Amino acid sequence: MEAKFISHDETTLWLDELAERHVVLAPMWDNTVVTFRPHVKGRVPVLDRMPVMPPKDGVFPQNEVLLKYKHEKDPENLDRTTVQVKETLPQETAVVVGARPCGTRGMLVFDRVYDCDKIRDPYYVGRRQNTLFVTVACTRIESTCFCHDVGSHPADAEGSDVLLVPVKGGYVAEAVTERGEELLKASFFKPAAAKVQEAEEVKSVNREKLPEAHDYTGCGEKLMARFDDLAFWTEQSAKCISCGACTYLCPTCYCFNITDDSVGLAGKRLRTWDNCMSFQFTLEGSGHNPRPTKAHRLRNRVNHKFAYYPELHGVIACCGCGRCIKSCPASVDIRAIVKAAQNYTPKQEEGGDER
Amino acid sequence: MSTLEQLKEQIRKALPDLDVVIGWEQGYDAMHATPLFIRTEEDIDRLIWSPLCVHSLGTYLTGLTKTPNVRKVGLVVKGCDSRAIVQLTQERMIPRENIVLFGVGCTGCLSHARLEYKVEQGGHYVEDMHSITFNGDKVEVAVNGDVESFDFDTVCLEKCLTCRFPNAIATEHFAGEQVPVAPKCEKAPSLEAFEKLSLEERFAFWQDQMRRCVRCYACRNTCPMCVCRDHCISTSRNPHWVSQETSSAENFMFQMIHTMHLAGRCIECGECQRACPVDLPIMLFRRTMVHAMKDTFGYISGADPEATPPLLTFKVEEDNIKERGW
Amino acid sequence: MSANNPILPDMATILEVVDETPNIRTFRVRFNDEKLMQDFTFMPGQVGQLSAFGFGEATFVINSSPTRMDYLQFSVMKVGEVTGRLHTLKEGDSIGVRAPLGNWFPVDEMKGKDITFVAGGIGMAPLRTLLVYLLDNRKDYGKITLLYGARSPRDMAYQEDVREWRDRDDLDVVLTVDSPAEGWGESPEERVGLIPNVLMDINPSAKNAIAVTCGPPIMIKFTLQALKKLGFEDDQIITTLEKRMKCGVGLCGRCNIGTKYVCVDGPVFKYSELKDLPDEL
Repeated sequence: MEAKFISHDETTLWLDELAERHVVLAPMWDNTVVTFRPHVKGRVPVLDRMPVMPPKDGVFPQNEVLLKYKHEKDPENLDRTTVQVKETLPQETAVVVGARPCGTRGMLVFDRVYDCDKIRDPYYVGRRQNTLFVTVACTRIESTCFCHDVGSHPADAEGSDVLLVPVKGGYVAEAVTERGEELLKASFFKPAAAKVQEAEEVKSVNREKLPEAHDYTGCGEKLMARFDDLAFWTEQSAKCISCGACTYLCPTCYCFNITDDSVGLAGKRLRTWDNCMSFQFTLEGSGHNPRPTKAHRLRNRVNHKFAYYPELHGVIACCGCGRCIKSCPASVDIRAIVKAAQNYTPKQEEGGDER
Repeated sequence: MSTLEQLKEQIRKALPDLDVVIGWEQGYDAMHATPLFIRTEEDIDRLIWSPLCVHSLGTYLTGLTKTPNVRKVGLVVKGCDSRAIVQLTQERMIPRENIVLFGVGCTGCLSHARLEYKVEQGGHYVEDMHSITFNGDKVEVAVNGDVESFDFDTVCLEKCLTCRFPNAIATEHFAGEQVPVAPKCEKAPSLEAFEKLSLEERFAFWQDQMRRCVRCYACRNTCPMCVCRDHCISTSRNPHWVSQETSSAENFMFQMIHTMHLAGRCIECGECQRACPVDLPIMLFRRTMVHAMKDTFGYISGADPEATPPLLTFKVEEDNIKERGW
Repeated sequence: MSANNPILPDMATILEVVDETPNIRTFRVRFNDEKLMQDFTFMPGQVGQLSAFGFGEATFVINSSPTRMDYLQFSVMKVGEVTGRLHTLKEGDSIGVRAPLGNWFPVDEMKGKDITFVAGGIGMAPLRTLLVYLLDNRKDYGKITLLYGARSPRDMAYQEDVREWRDRDDLDVVLTVDSPAEGWGESPEERVGLIPNVLMDINPSAKNAIAVTCGPPIMIKFTLQALKKLGFEDDQIITTLEKRMKCGVGLCGRCNIGTKYVCVDGPVFKYSELKDLPDEL
């Protein structure tokens, strides 16, 4: 597929045009942070940095109405109530513009769970099929970035429909899928010609900025070897404050809650992002909680990404974006926890009574 | 001997009687500190003390003092942090007798958000910052080969501009010199600006801001005064006051409940706003409440160990509340 | 449960509500869509999600037997918001049902074997479906023993079933309560004492046998120890687990024990499988 060029100004015009037919989610300044918002005509997207929120909202919105219900009193017998239920499957089509390769790849972690032989979640699948990803190759390597540790790189096009590579004056656009190629037929895209070479250089320069990749091979076994070592997890989770910043900002965290909200006799069943760091997440009706402390919960989060998911699906459920590290109020570093399990050597001292 | 060396010395002496001492160490890069849990002598070597040491470590107390095998806890505290301990002690939320405080005087903490804004304004990429030096009232940042210098006041946390309690109070130990009390302004500039808005404008302001709250509860969980912990009303279905839906209105409701629970309790450490991943101006709520408590009850939370918090007492006739006059 | 949308409940109507104990109620329901009811199949041990609209969903075992399809039966212990609301529902009310979910008891593998049931409190519910199924296919199975314990006689659910079971001579029934109660203990099958102790007393043979147990975690723990003492091997012991669930279809992420999701890989587990799971019950 032939690469195309689009200038900065025309990028905005292109989004204007796309927004006439689709919901276009693009990064914008929202007060003091950059996050994904529906594109509004004429507004310039902020494509030069990693948005604070991941792009998953486009396919897996933080709030999704699963169904609507209505209680109806039986006019013959007011004591009796029947309920009418209406399914609310998503209908709209969307284009997510301006995610980084790491964020876009996060959706692949969802796909193996939400769209597999065992189950097809119709809300997820509906949105996924109707959402295109126009990803921007990364040019800004931060201290929290580790996409290369988990098998990716700053210009990884996996999971994207179009990859935009920043070059002087605009972007070189590479179609990755057929649907991506369709997008590039818009008149704003011009032959890229000489820009292609520049784009290749941008890709390689940024790839080289990353330090040597850490090898996570076998980390699942190492983590499971520490499973019952609560002292290890207590130490690793000591500074965790058990909030949900890491999970909500994670492009691969897919756990959710389902709650009903009524107004009078009618209401909706909502699916909302949930957070395994919360005490309530696994709290049972009896009062029993299988993950009662933050040590248990952090163990689940780390293991889910680096042990359980890889065992079930063959790949680490982490895209290396580093949001969980950067936005953690206590700077808990998931890389350090996995490495601690990998490098673990039993303490020699006798009779240590540390938990 | 530097403040840090004194601090290390004090901790070294006290450590045998303590299960853990919480301080700060260098984080995952040069720009960040992170809480350090000191359990052994060797851990002490990792301790740091600088304007990067922003975390209010008191937030770990309510959980930690209920943990089996942890009886005595040491804590390094700045002025604002120590006020949290005072207030929690007054509310009998922590076993103060099992807590040993290592106080320091604080000249202000760095705001990463403000520094990054400045660096970017100067035409640099924030990820190119590779070291930071605090030099009196200047901050020097090595960024991509250049050294950029900023006035500390322009890159510190806003709470530090109005701080009247730079020195830790009611502590067992104190390291270094007392820092002079020198607030740069009476009222936080953001609150000054906010108060100029009309009621309608304020409402619009919050509607716009609250949309972006993701309800991760980082603000709640970093707050040293949030003691309901696992039983917070925000995630309760019984009573069901707040929906899980992250709409502007529901998010606002949660933030208001949070603020109300901090009436007469908030010690303005600013951790809620610092922790917020989407940078909500949560301190506007808190400061408004703090001013209201001061005007109504003449009370400043956590400032005086001998005082009784107004919401823990009852007067038939409050001096500044004219119930019958309504 | 709709094949296209496993998260969407099917609407059903409550035929009958039975008060089992002071805090357990049984609901007999039929799907409103008659064709769905006719086509509905499940196996003993599978669960369903009941919807109290406005309050949410919770998971309960289908404790009727697939051999008797007049209705689906669920027993609800009142513990929280959803169960509290379900307890207010009456005959004729609408209820949402998502079923069947999860795996089931290995009824084929159990054929020809002696089966010992050990149930504590609400733990009788998942065993009831299997017991009724076995009794309806009685010739396929060996000796069947039921040990059912509850705190007190009035905490014992399925009184009507229990009366019927006691009258059968192809089933041994032993009942036990935690402490002596008036009118209790007049017949030898009414015992006083903790389930594991009574189990040791009954002393079922482990030879060509399967033990199926369900109840509160502490009871399970000691029952397992008792069964081991009686010579039951790990793969001769079957239990069903309960976890907080939301989706019931392996997505929402809260019922996992390591890589196993109780909602899809369970709720029925052999002790031999359970032992290999990380310890996070």
